[in-house]
Amino acid sequence: MLRFVAREAGRLALGLIGAALLAAAIAGLALPHAEDGLFSFLFAWGRTLDAFVSLDFGRSAISGEGAFADVWQRLPLTLGLVGEGFAIALVVGIPVGLLFGAGPARRAASPIIQIVSAAPIFCAGLALAWAVANLLGWPVTLDSGIKSDLALWPRDPAQLQALLLPVLTVGLAGAAAAQLALRRAGAEASGEAWRVELRRLGLTAWDIETGHVMPRLIAGLLAGLGEVMLALLSAAAVAEWVFNYAGAADLFVKSVALHDWAVVAPVLFAFAALTLIAEFVGRVAAHPLSDRGGAP
Amino acid sequence: MSEPRTILTVSELGVERAGANELSGLSFSLAAGESLTVLGDASSGKDALIRVLAGHGGRDDVLTGTIGYGDGAALPAAKRAKPPVRMVYLAGAAASPLNPHASVLSQLTQILARRLDTPRSSAREELRIALERFPDAPVFADLDRKPGAFTAPELTWALMATAIAQAPDLLIADHAFADLSPAAIKAAVEALRAEQRRIGFALIYGARGLKTASYLRGRMIVLRQGRVVEEGSFDKLASGQSHAYTRTLFKSLTKPTDAAAPRSATRGEPLLQVQGLDLRSPKDKGPKPRDGISFELRRGASLALIGEEGSGRRALVRALLGMERFAGGRVVMDQVDLSILSAAMSSRLRRRIAFITGADDALDPRMTLWDTVDEPLRAHLHLPRDLIAGHRETALKRVGLASYDGRQPVAELSPYDKRRLQIARAIVGAPFLAVIDEPLRGLDAFAQSIMIELLEDFRRQEGPAFVVITADVGVAQVLAEDALFLKDRKVVERGALREILKNPKDEETRRLIDAANL
Amino acid sequence: MTAPRVAPSLHGVLRIIGWVGLGLIAVAVSLSDFLATAPADATAVGPLLAAPTEVFRFGTDILGRDMFSETLHGLADTIRSALPGALTTLFAGALFGFVAARMPRPFALGLRGFMGIMAAIPALLLAILMIGLTARGWAGIAAGLSAAPIAFVRAFERAQRQERAPHSAYARATGISAGTLMRRDLVYEFTDTFLSSAARALAAVTIVLSTVSFLGFGAVPPHRDLGLMIAAAKPYLLHAWWTAAFPAAALVVVILFARLAAGLDEGERA
Repeated sequence: MLRFVAREAGRLALGLIGAALLAAAIAGLALPHAEDGLFSFLFAWGRTLDAFVSLDFGRSAISGEGAFADVWQRLPLTLGLVGEGFAIALVVGIPVGLLFGAGPARRAASPIIQIVSAAPIFCAGLALAWAVANLLGWPVTLDSGIKSDLALWPRDPAQLQALLLPVLTVGLAGAAAAQLALRRAGAEASGEAWRVELRRLGLTAWDIETGHVMPRLIAGLLAGLGEVMLALLSAAAVAEWVFNYAGAADLFVKSVALHDWAVVAPVLFAFAALTLIAEFVGRVAAHPLSDRGGAP
Repeated sequence: MSEPRTILTVSELGVERAGANELSGLSFSLAAGESLTVLGDASSGKDALIRVLAGHGGRDDVLTGTIGYGDGAALPAAKRAKPPVRMVYLAGAAASPLNPHASVLSQLTQILARRLDTPRSSAREELRIALERFPDAPVFADLDRKPGAFTAPELTWALMATAIAQAPDLLIADHAFADLSPAAIKAAVEALRAEQRRIGFALIYGARGLKTASYLRGRMIVLRQGRVVEEGSFDKLASGQSHAYTRTLFKSLTKPTDAAAPRSATRGEPLLQVQGLDLRSPKDKGPKPRDGISFELRRGASLALIGEEGSGRRALVRALLGMERFAGGRVVMDQVDLSILSAAMSSRLRRRIAFITGADDALDPRMTLWDTVDEPLRAHLHLPRDLIAGHRETALKRVGLASYDGRQPVAELSPYDKRRLQIARAIVGAPFLAVIDEPLRGLDAFAQSIMIELLEDFRRQEGPAFVVITADVGVAQVLAEDALFLKDRKVVERGALREILKNPKDEETRRLIDAANL
Repeated sequence: MTAPRVAPSLHGVLRIIGWVGLGLIAVAVSLSDFLATAPADATAVGPLLAAPTEVFRFGTDILGRDMFSETLHGLADTIRSALPGALTTLFAGALFGFVAARMPRPFALGLRGFMGIMAAIPALLLAILMIGLTARGWAGIAAGLSAAPIAFVRAFERAQRQERAPHSAYARATGISAGTLMRRDLVYEFTDTFLSSAARALAAVTIVLSTVSFLGFGAVPPHRDLGLMIAAAKPYLLHAWWTAAFPAAALVVVILFARLAAGLDEGERA
């Protein structure tokens, strides 16, 4: 187990270094003459890397503030959305995935799940906004154009209503990814010979489903944690845009539009790092449940 | 002395599934302490019988006839009554019966606790006691590992202990010893017979091949396409005074008289020359063995590498083919020293080597039947399409696969068909050396006898040198004249196989010959 | 003995429905100029923000454009951009993944590492970044390239599993070269599954493409694809639902049919 964790930690470190190199290449574009040719770009890349080593992440071309400070200020909102969305993803995705990932319901449910999950997340977010505004009478603004702050820990019903829409949008995207990972693991386990043989040897269907199939599904979900994180981050970008919240993903979109590469780079690095860390945690947690894993 | 009590009485049993008649008109009875081997291939109805008796059948099985347990009255099979006797199912390790992601100990304990209706702690104790009855079984403390960490014989012992711990009245073993070496089968059957004498259970053994039946020596029923071909004692059926189909099946049990006339080991040019080969890894810093493996194989000659799993048979073949570097020694193939060749050159040299193996994953399951045969011709010889098609058709005809849909993927073929397809692929390659690795493993008796014929025909017509890897001296003596007996990566005895069979000198050689039950 | 006739499974039927649906969409796209009652981006065709009626079946938007015609034109624009994107995903992702896995080890691992990092960035943000670095006219290709790392990693790992499989070892033992083994991957993993992979890539690329358009990085007016139409309808959505609902429905239908055509068991993330 320790060797596996060490190897995975090495992979994570290499991934983070690669993501930092990529971020430095993008940040290098902010330097003058970086787009004048390959050598100019490589020179700019080198200079940015050098600056990164001394923790200088450049300045935003728009706000004039330090790029890192700009991102640092916006990141908590996105992380909050992702964190709360993750909780919803587990609450919704796990029951759906378990219900439709194991047993005879798996193949029958698959068309319905496809239909439900075919809507892109921005369509789902808008549909949700329409539904709560028209059916529940909640105050929803989609057209203000003014970015507002979001109370991640609501203190009154109004704050809760404001929080629920983006968090639900992000959470449903995460739930779709979580149930997909669970159903994929369920599909893999469904054809295994041991399911039939253990039954023949004397175990009940309940013993097999709970004691043997369930750990496979959980391992599948853990191994798919990186995918869930990708879905959450994408959805956070969409939710911040749809519901006018000034998070890091929104900052990324705006900065790319304005070619503010010094700001784009740290956001990109943060998102890649989050995914790589989620993948690492998932793989390490799933390892004991795999056939090559350490403790049974 | 009183008659042993009857455990099972089956009368006119018929099984129909999805409109197809799987079994009809089967009747037999079985007393305590008695053994019955049910022999047949996948379509014989044997699997249907075991399914019904072990209670694994579903509602889609339409049953006719009656089944009676113990001294109770016979009831219609369709009633699916719960047997009043303790019926235990014994699976084979080859069927992968355990979850590879959980420990063997936890799974077997769970099974025992469920079957005996006792707490897990008692079940563990029962399992420990049962394991101690088998001297070759893994130690109880070692069972706390996942199934992948065990060899097939070790898992078989653990499964047997679980079955015995349930003190069965009727034990139904479904190919439980398939894929084991003859020595391992012999040991398992002897242990099972000893437990049968102690507990007095009746045994039904579902068998594809005859190896296990040859050790059990009890009653046999031969099934074919859902009907009984013949029944009687093993000795009676083996005597030759039996049904033509039964005689064909018994051809798979090779006997010394079946051996081909010995060829001269000195004929032809040398194909493989091995000098002082040290099978240890180059990184192994242990003391160097006094003398390595040395031998010569000439064109058209044959050599059996006989030994148990882990004896170094396959390591030796990897060294012979230049696929792995070893600590020392020299291999010259077709007058080229393999140690001086680059990986690409040694790969080119291997183009005229064929592999026919009992591993069902030796062929790419994604490829089509035709593509599998065509590939060596297309990749190595760049022949025109019509010529390739001609070679392919001839080869497929020879192995009996010409009528199959050529676009069928290999994954959909039966193990027997895959084995024949390997021979067809070997035929088109016109190899100078064929490596034949446990070619009969897992096949039913009929398929085994056909495989032997096909391999003999392949050797007669194409004339490649044969290197036969096997733990079964019976298979070796049909396909090879010379032999190396291996143990612990060392050669323990070598020479003409006929001579060794008459007068084995090493203890391991004697054990392997004895296990072959010739 | 004849093989029993096997009734097509539910999944087989759904797959056929998927392809028929995609075929109908292709017909609608190629005939969009004839089927639409108004040219693309024609304003003041009807009253402003009129709800669906018999004359304007999908209603009109804030500039009086006929939503039925606009949805058809938007669908055509989306499909025209998504198709080259899907092909980009297939070739730069799946095909390249199979080839890279059989390259010499240092190259293979280097490429796998690079693509692994790219796959750790959400495809949506990667597409936005690529469009930012190039031009909005390249949105389809950028969406295809952003989905390519995931396809690459999946193909690479499949090829590596095949490389480690016993059948590859047996093939190598009989002198079969790495090139011939790669041919197996390309024939059986890429060519044979090309259509279903293309349908799956189409679904993934359509999602990314419409989302980048929704965020303002895709189609350039006067061309309005479905994502841009929904973005334009956002301020009026709460009281004029039809301005967003019909383009969104068209989008969902394209993605759904593409997924059904690809086979149901594996969904796509995007």
